[in-house]
Amino acid sequence: MQPVAITGIGLVTPSGIDRRKFWSNVLHGRSVIKKIDRFDASRYRSHIAGHVHELDAYSNVSSRLLKKIDLFSHMGLVASEIAIQDAKLDLSKEDLKRAGIFMGNAIGGWLYAETELRDLYLEGREGVSPFMASAWFPAAPQGQISIHYGIKGYSKTIVADRASSLMAIGYGAKNLLRGKNDFILAGGMEAPVTPYALLCCNTSGCLSPNNEEAQTAYRPFDKNRDGFAIAEGAGILILEPHSRVKSRGVDVYANIIGFATTTDGVDRIKPAQDGIELARAIRMALNDAGLQPPDIDYICADGAGGVESDISETKAIKLAFNDYARTIPISAPKAVFGNMLGACGAIDVITTVLAMEHQLIPPTINLRDPDPDCDLDYVPNEARAKDIKNAIVINRGRGGINCVLVLQKP
Amino acid sequence: MTIEEQVKSIFKNVLDISPSEIKPDETLASSLGIDSTELVEISVGIKKELGVALADSELKKSHTFNEIIKIVESKKVKCA
Repeated sequence: MQPVAITGIGLVTPSGIDRRKFWSNVLHGRSVIKKIDRFDASRYRSHIAGHVHELDAYSNVSSRLLKKIDLFSHMGLVASEIAIQDAKLDLSKEDLKRAGIFMGNAIGGWLYAETELRDLYLEGREGVSPFMASAWFPAAPQGQISIHYGIKGYSKTIVADRASSLMAIGYGAKNLLRGKNDFILAGGMEAPVTPYALLCCNTSGCLSPNNEEAQTAYRPFDKNRDGFAIAEGAGILILEPHSRVKSRGVDVYANIIGFATTTDGVDRIKPAQDGIELARAIRMALNDAGLQPPDIDYICADGAGGVESDISETKAIKLAFNDYARTIPISAPKAVFGNMLGACGAIDVITTVLAMEHQLIPPTINLRDPDPDCDLDYVPNEARAKDIKNAIVINRGRGGINCVLVLQKP
Repeated sequence: MTIEEQVKSIFKNVLDISPSEIKPDETLASSLGIDSTELVEISVGIKKELGVALADSELKKSHTFNEIIKIVESKKVKCA
């Protein structure tokens, strides 16, 4: 595919909203996973998470609007504003009918929904806020961003579990190349630290129950891993075609040069054990980018921290890269702040972009005792200097969703 | 508390505004930028606080605050 430029980034994460703070925390592997104290979660099998702090300090959303929206929309609005400013976009001079919004989200706005459902059962129909209808569903942030900025162009929200936002970025980039938009906001948001959402995540069996060691519970590719810790957050990119970037005279963080997705068709939760379909997605994405296995300098892994998921991801990388698999550094930086489900792809892309910019690979933390079946170079515990020209980001979702994006340093 | 004060208080709580932002003779759309969902919430608030059920045609964006007060007052009298 023709390259699509990333010209702005905005993030809201448990490791920081300020980009420098986020990068420092991720690079030094400072885990921010802790026990959930927002509500009594003590009876949940897994009750640890990455929590966003300081959101109000970065928010210009009115208190009137905050009553109508869920936390996931609020985080999306804050990340969007940061990204728009970062890209030096003056929306008053843009044709907003040709601006688009491509968002990814997995579970919707349950903090809002749970409160209203409680009121439904306690007070009856009239106890439910009329804003419920527009607050909870996965495309709500797309709508709020659209209203806030007056954006009216071709837009879409993708729901594909933990691959949602990576898929939104990939499809958004492809859409730009078809000439439907001048520029787009692409990314995702997730707010799963609520009683019902946490329950659903727990019943999936994907979460670590190691509550007493919250900061070391999420340990991708380690022999003693037992799942991931959830997190809340949002990540937004500004994507533009290169013809426009030249005329605007703005800097490019990185280019999106390849994208592919496949599905396993095997199990409703677990990924296929053979990794064949993920390997096919990697090869398709490399082919889309016009690259060969030796061209890849870094892999930002899905690293879900499950027995089957980590082994099958390792198998897929070996199948796709053959002899080169052992020479490519791989890491799962998200173990520092937790797995943001539908938003994790956007944060993985931003982390990879920052790794390219700083020529440093953030580590996979808590990897002390590697699984013999996970025998690649996962950059354990310490960051590593490396000039990254080309990188891939892998995200996978329940139901066997595989998604791969290829990034190139400009 | 008068009916006007009670309705003003409902507007204030639903819209998270100060009472001075309410312009009594301007339409709700032009003075407060009110949306249809906020109108539903105000309608529910009026029913809860004053026991007056307003039909859709009685609470519209094109109404002024004073017009709504008149409607609520007349319905309140009928109820009494």
